[in-house]
Amino acid sequence: MARAFARRGRGEDLRYAAQLDSAERGVVAELLRQVRELIAPGGEAAPSASTGDDFDAIVAGLGSDFGSITVPDSPEGLTGRGLPQEPRDPALDRLFPSANRSDPDAAAEFRRLTESSLRQRKIAGLTQSIELLRAVRGDILELTPAQAQTFMIALTDVRLVIGDRLGLREDADATRLDEVAASLDAGDPTAYAIAVYDFLTWLQETLATSMLT
Amino acid sequence: MSIAPVEEEVTSAGTGEALDVPWITLVWNDPVNLMSYVTYVFQSYFGYSREKAESLMLDVHHKGRAVVASGPREKMEIDTEALQGFGLWATFQKDR
Repeated sequence: MARAFARRGRGEDLRYAAQLDSAERGVVAELLRQVRELIAPGGEAAPSASTGDDFDAIVAGLGSDFGSITVPDSPEGLTGRGLPQEPRDPALDRLFPSANRSDPDAAAEFRRLTESSLRQRKIAGLTQSIELLRAVRGDILELTPAQAQTFMIALTDVRLVIGDRLGLREDADATRLDEVAASLDAGDPTAYAIAVYDFLTWLQETLATSMLT
Repeated sequence: MSIAPVEEEVTSAGTGEALDVPWITLVWNDPVNLMSYVTYVFQSYFGYSREKAESLMLDVHHKGRAVVASGPREKMEIDTEALQGFGLWATFQKDR
């Protein structure tokens, strides 16, 4: 059972610590790995022992039924599908958004100059975060301030991707998630994705709150 | 931004720095990023005070976007790249 991040120590000994059991660490690490794979297909990402079919589905798009759904106005409506195949994964457009809304040429130039290094930094942060989780002993994830920032950014990257998969476009979509989840069978991949998303949100919230000064 | 347990009392004009510089960096609202995290990013990256960071964050949340920095184009591009690195939806443009 997870316990929230909290500050420990002060000055050079300042750490941010949370309790995560091995299953919880496995969930987070697997999602970090999947997002790394999305950002760097076939790159550093080594094949890993998956913890279950639900996982494989989340970042990959939760199966053909899930990749393009949007959170519906009513829970009953959660059957939408079928946008045409995008040339680029829309989650990547959220991770690396167009940087200039009024000047497409400037946006393209910015992307050309920055996306490669942005990808490299994200890959490095995701990799480091996976290693931090794997190094945990005694169920306590204890992070230096620098590690905590890296981990928090990695959690953001994962939540952005899952949020995109869940069709979150506006604040109201996020507030409807619990309602959507309640309407689904427990075994539904979407319900699982929402539960994972909520867990990551909680974890990140406790870390961000404890890092605010 | 996602709902976080934060009181939403503060309001401000929230338009960045000097008005005579021609380029700005904007952050746009999104449903994923947490209010606490966005505040943290504004504090840690720009070195803004907690008060200023929260004020800008609330502008993003309530108005859909906020000007978070202004200055030369090159600096705004650097800021935009850094904020995108944090996962925020940042853009730059000529100030109008």
